[in-house]
Amino acid sequence: MARLDQMPEPMRSHLKKLPCPSFDKHSWVSGPELRKRRVAIISTAGLHRRGDRPFEGMTGDYRVIPGDISARDLVMTHISTNFDRTGFQQDWNVVFPLDRLKELAANGTIGSVAAYHYSFMGATDPAAMESGIRDIAGFLKGDRVDAAILVPV
Amino acid sequence: MGALAHYLEDEGIPTTQISLIREQTEFIRPPRALWVPFELGRPLGMPENADLQNKVLMSALMLLEAAEGPLLADFPDTDGTPPSAADTESAVWACPINLQAASEGETDSEKLLSAFKREIASLRPWYDLSFERRGRTALGLFKPDTTSNLLASYASGKPTEIPIENLSLAVALRLAAHDLKAFYFEAAIARPGTALPDSAAFNKWFWNETAAGQILKAVKTKCMNEEDKALRMTGAALLVPLGQT
Repeated sequence: MARLDQMPEPMRSHLKKLPCPSFDKHSWVSGPELRKRRVAIISTAGLHRRGDRPFEGMTGDYRVIPGDISARDLVMTHISTNFDRTGFQQDWNVVFPLDRLKELAANGTIGSVAAYHYSFMGATDPAAMESGIRDIAGFLKGDRVDAAILVPV
Repeated sequence: MGALAHYLEDEGIPTTQISLIREQTEFIRPPRALWVPFELGRPLGMPENADLQNKVLMSALMLLEAAEGPLLADFPDTDGTPPSAADTESAVWACPINLQAASEGETDSEKLLSAFKREIASLRPWYDLSFERRGRTALGLFKPDTTSNLLASYASGKPTEIPIENLSLAVALRLAAHDLKAFYFEAAIARPGTALPDSAAFNKWFWNETAAGQILKAVKTKCMNEEDKALRMTGAALLVPLGQT
C-alpha cells in the first residue's frame, strides 16, 4: 500500500515533500551471526514512557525507552495525524516489537535484547536528528549492542 | 528513517530497518532495509498477529547476515495478510450511540456541545471496562474528562485552562485530539456486538458520525483563525487528517 504512486491525494503530495537527504558515503558495518547479536529498537513513532515529555515539534529530540518497559507505560505523542494509530492502540508490537524481540532472544534466534531503546519523532528533518543519533550510537556501544533495528511509523 | 541508519552505521553500529515508503528508501539507500506492504502506522503488520510480526521482524533481522549492500528487500505482498485498510472499501462497521434528543432552544454550537458531552458519557463505561480488561490505555497525557473538557472549552470560546504545566495551548490541543480518538476507539471496541473495525472504518465513523469528529473540526477552524502561529499550524495540519473536510 505504501508506494507513493498508489496513495491517494493529498497524502501522496504531502509525503513527497518530506525531507529526503542523499548520502555520498555508504558505510557498511558487519557483525557476528544473528544468534550472537544484541539488538536495540530505534523508532521514529514518537514513543516515550508515560510521564516523560511529550514530543512537541520537529526539533530532532529523542526519548530513552528502558528495555523492561511494559505496554501500559509506553505512549505515542507523534505530531502527525496522517497515519493509523488503532494498530498501536490494540497491540504495541505493531510499532514497537519488544515482545517479539524478547521471544527471539528466549529461543536463541538472537543473542539478547538491549537494555535501552530509543525513539525520535519521524517527519523531522534528518539533519536535526543527526546529533542525537550519533549520541545514541555511543549509548548503544556502552550497552554492547551490535544490531539496531530501525522501525518507522 | 534511512538517514538514521546512515548515521549509526557511520558510528560503527550495524543496522537493519523496516521501510514503509519504498520510494524514499530507494532514494536514501540505507545499508539494509525491508520494504513492507502495510499501511502507515503499522510497520509490523497486524495487531494481535504474532506470527506475521515475527516474520516481518525476522525478515528484517536476516538482512544483517548479508555480505554486502546496500540492500532493499521486499516483504511478500501476498503473504496471506489481509489487504490494508486504505486499499479497500472498508467493511460496513457501525457503533451506534443512542443519544437523547437535544434540548429545545439550543443554538447549533450548543447542540453540538451537548451531543459531544452525551457521547462521552455514553462511551465512558465502555472505556473504563476496556481499560480494566486490557490493563492498558493509549491515552498518552490526559484523562478522558480532561481531554473532552479542554476541547469543548476551546471550541466554545470559553477560557481554556491548560491542564499540564509548561505545555502550550497548541500542543495541549493536539495531544488532546489524539487522546480523544484513542478514547473513542478503546470504548467502541469494548462494546458487545461491535466487530473490530479496520482503521478506515474507524476513521469513517469517527469523522462522519460522531459529535467528537465535528468538535475537532470546529477546533481546527478556530485554531486557523488565531494570531498565534503555533495554533494556526496546529489547526492547519495537526488535528484533522489530510482528506477529511
